[in-house]
Amino acid sequence: MAASPMVNPGDQPVWVNTDNCKACDICVSVCPSGVLGMRYEKNSTLGAMISIDHPEACIGCQECELSCPDFAIFVADRKELKEAGVSFAKLTDDAKARQEKIVANNFMSLSEQGVK
Amino acid sequence: MATREVISTGNELAALAAVDAGCKFFGGYPLTPSSEVMHVISDLLPKKGGVAIQMEDEIAGICAVIGAAMVGQRALTATSGPGVSLKAENLGLAQMAEVPLVLVNVMRGGPSTGLPTRVSQGDILQAKNPSHGDYKSITLCAGSLAECYTETVRAFNLADRFMQPVIVLLDETIGHMHGKAEIPTIEDVEAGIVPRKKFDGPADEYFPYECEADEPATLNPMFEGYRYHFTGLHHDKNGFPTEEIETCRKLIQRLEDKVAMHEDELESYEEFMMDDAEVMIVAYGSVSLAAKESIRHLRKEGIKAGLFRPITIWPSPAKKIKEYTDKIEKVLVVELNIGQFHAEVQRASSRLDIDGLFKVNGRALSPHEIVSKVKEL
Amino acid sequence: MAFNYDKYLRLEKMPTLWCWGCGDGVILKAFVRAIDKMGVAQDDVCVVSGIGCSGRFSSYVDFNTVHTTHGRTVAYATGIKLAAPDKLVVCVAGDGDALAIGGNHTIHGCRRNIDLTLIIINNFIYGLTNSQTSPTTPRGMWTVSQKAGNIDPTFNTCDLAIASGASFVARETMIEPKKLEKVLVKAMQHKGFSMMEVLSNCHINLGRKNKMMSAMANLEWIDSITTSKKKYDAMSEEERLNLLPTGILKEDTEADEYCEMYAEIQKVHQGQRAKITQDDFAKKI
Repeated sequence: MAASPMVNPGDQPVWVNTDNCKACDICVSVCPSGVLGMRYEKNSTLGAMISIDHPEACIGCQECELSCPDFAIFVADRKELKEAGVSFAKLTDDAKARQEKIVANNFMSLSEQGVK
Repeated sequence: MATREVISTGNELAALAAVDAGCKFFGGYPLTPSSEVMHVISDLLPKKGGVAIQMEDEIAGICAVIGAAMVGQRALTATSGPGVSLKAENLGLAQMAEVPLVLVNVMRGGPSTGLPTRVSQGDILQAKNPSHGDYKSITLCAGSLAECYTETVRAFNLADRFMQPVIVLLDETIGHMHGKAEIPTIEDVEAGIVPRKKFDGPADEYFPYECEADEPATLNPMFEGYRYHFTGLHHDKNGFPTEEIETCRKLIQRLEDKVAMHEDELESYEEFMMDDAEVMIVAYGSVSLAAKESIRHLRKEGIKAGLFRPITIWPSPAKKIKEYTDKIEKVLVVELNIGQFHAEVQRASSRLDIDGLFKVNGRALSPHEIVSKVKEL
Repeated sequence: MAFNYDKYLRLEKMPTLWCWGCGDGVILKAFVRAIDKMGVAQDDVCVVSGIGCSGRFSSYVDFNTVHTTHGRTVAYATGIKLAAPDKLVVCVAGDGDALAIGGNHTIHGCRRNIDLTLIIINNFIYGLTNSQTSPTTPRGMWTVSQKAGNIDPTFNTCDLAIASGASFVARETMIEPKKLEKVLVKAMQHKGFSMMEVLSNCHINLGRKNKMMSAMANLEWIDSITTSKKKYDAMSEEERLNLLPTGILKEDTEADEYCEMYAEIQKVHQGQRAKITQDDFAKKI
C-alpha cells in the first residue's frame, strides 16, 4: 500500500489519507478547534474512520499531523494555502466548546449516534 | 612467486596478513591465547589509517566488525573458543545478511574456561556450526607459521567472494610458536586482492539480494548512493523482512548452494608422502607438524605412512578423503580433541573402522606418540 | 502540499505494522522531520535498530539501514561510525533492547562518548513479544512473566546515561511531537554520545492488562508521570518520587568525542604527534 498523497486534494487546510488511518483517536484528541471526529466505518480498522467535519475551523496548528502515527492526516503549508486564497481560521470559543463535546463523545463525530 | 623471510609468531603473522590484505578495521576483546593478534594489529592499523578497537566484550567486538564490514571495509576479529561461543548469534546475522568478515580462532583447551594457556583443537565442530540455523561454514586451518599468514590473506578474499564470515583456525601452539616463515611479498598479496563485487548501475535498479541461485549477494558499501536494508530476518531482494514462502525457501537454499556448488574454489589440502602410502594419517594444525616428523621416522623403519592434511576444513575435503579411504585400510586421525574431525572422516569414508589418536589434556602430541600408535594399527 | 514525508519513507512498506495509535509512528515522523530540518543528505544517514517493535523503525525509512540482533544496536553502530566517522549514525532501540540485553553496550557507548545518537523508545514493556517485564516496567504492574505483579525495580534511563558518561542526555515523550522534533535535532547535531529517551505508549500490551485500554488512556498516563525539568528541579524528594523530568538534562559540548580521539591515535602511529600521555587529560581517572 502506498503512503500519503501529500498533495493537497484541493486547497484544503487539512486532508486525510483513509488508506492509512487506523482510527486511534489521537488526532481528534489533540485538535483544539473541533475540526475532526471519528465516523463509524464497517470495513476499517476498529470499525471507524477519521472524518474532517469542520475544515473551516482549522487553525493550522499541525498538532493532528504531528501526532498521527500513520501518515494519515496532513495540514497545508501556510504560505501555499494563502497563495491559493484560503486562510486558516482563528481559534474561537465555540470551536473550543465543540472540541470538548467531541472528546466527551469518546472522540466520535457529534453527528454519529451511539458510543463506541 | 617471490617470498620474504620473517621471524615471527603465528598470532603476529595473522595480524600482519590482515593488514597486508587490506583489512581496515579490527574489533575484539582480549582472550588468551589470541590477544597478541589484537595487540599487534592495534599498532599496525592506525598507521595505515584504519581503526582497531578493543570493545567492552566479545559480542560487541564482532558486532563492531560486522558494522564496519557493512560500511564496506575488510574487517577482522580474533578470539578463542569461549569468544566464538559468545559471538555465535551475530556470526549468524553475518551469514544471514551475507556480510564478509574474517574471524581468527586461536584454539585452547575447552570446554568452558578449560585450559586458557594450553593447546587444543576442540573447536572444529563449533566452526562448522557456531550459530543456529542452516548455512555453510567456511573454515580454514593453518598448519604452519607461514600458513598463519597465507590462510588469513586467503580468508579475506574468500569472505569477499562468498560474502560471509570465514573462520581461520590457529591453535595455541602455532599461535605462540616463534620461528622463521617464508611468506609472500606485500606486492604479491596486494596484487592478489579480489574485493567484493559491486553494482554500478542506477540505484533504482539495484537489488542487493537478487542474484543467481548459487551466488552470494552483491552488497554495495554504505553511504555511496545505494540505500538498502540489512537484517537477520528472512528478507527479499531489497533486504526488507518477509515471510513469503518461496522467498524464504530460496534464500536458505542459496546460502547453502553459494558454498556447496563452488567447493572447487574452496578446496585446499596437503598430501604429504601419500603416493604410495599404506597408512594414512589425517591431521591438521600444529599436530600436522608432529605428524610429518612421525612419518619421516616411520618411513625410515619401512612403514609407508603418509599425511593427508585438510587446510580448508569446512567444507571438508570429503571426496578426496574417500578416494584415499577406499583404497587404504589403515587410516588414523590424529587430533587434539576427542574425535571431532574423526567423525567427519568416518562420514566421508562411509567406514566405521577409522582409527583415532586423541589428546585432550592441553598438551601437544609428540612424533613419538604418533609413531607408537601407527605401529599398533 | 504538506511536508514531503514520501521522500524519506520506503513507501512500498507502508502502512506500518505497528498497532493503531502506537507512539513508534509519531516518533518516526518526528525523526524524519528532524533529519529534514538538519538538511542531511539521505545517503549520509545510517539508522541502526534493535529487536522489538521499535526495531522495525529502520525498515520504514529510506536511509542506509541496519536491523541488528537484540541489544547490540550500539555495538554495530560503533563499528559503522568508526568506519565512517563523518556520517550521521542514529540508533533506535526499545527499553528492553537498550537497557536489558543491551545494557552493557549502552553503558559503554555513553562512556566512550562516541558521536552516535541513541533514541531509546521506552514503552515500559516488551511489546513485540507480548508483555514481558522490561527494566522500566512500573513496579506492581501486571506482565505476562510476572502475573502476580512486577517486583522488579526500575532503571532511570537518563540517570544511567549521565552516570555512564553520555555528553547529551534528554527525555521527551510522543505526546509533545513538536518538542520531540526540536530536541531530536539538538541530539543529532550534538558531537558526542546523545542519549534521547522517548516515552511511548503500548496500550495493546502494557495498557490492556493494566487498566489502560485505549491509546488515549496511555497518553494520559505518560502525561501524569512526566513534568518539565524546570518544575522537577524545584520539587522535593517526595514530590519527585513518581515523576520523570522532560527536556535536555545534560548537554556538555566540551567532552572529548571518541572518533576525534582515535584520529589522534592515528596521528601518533603515523609519526605526526607524540604519544598520548596522562598530561593530555584534565580528568584522568
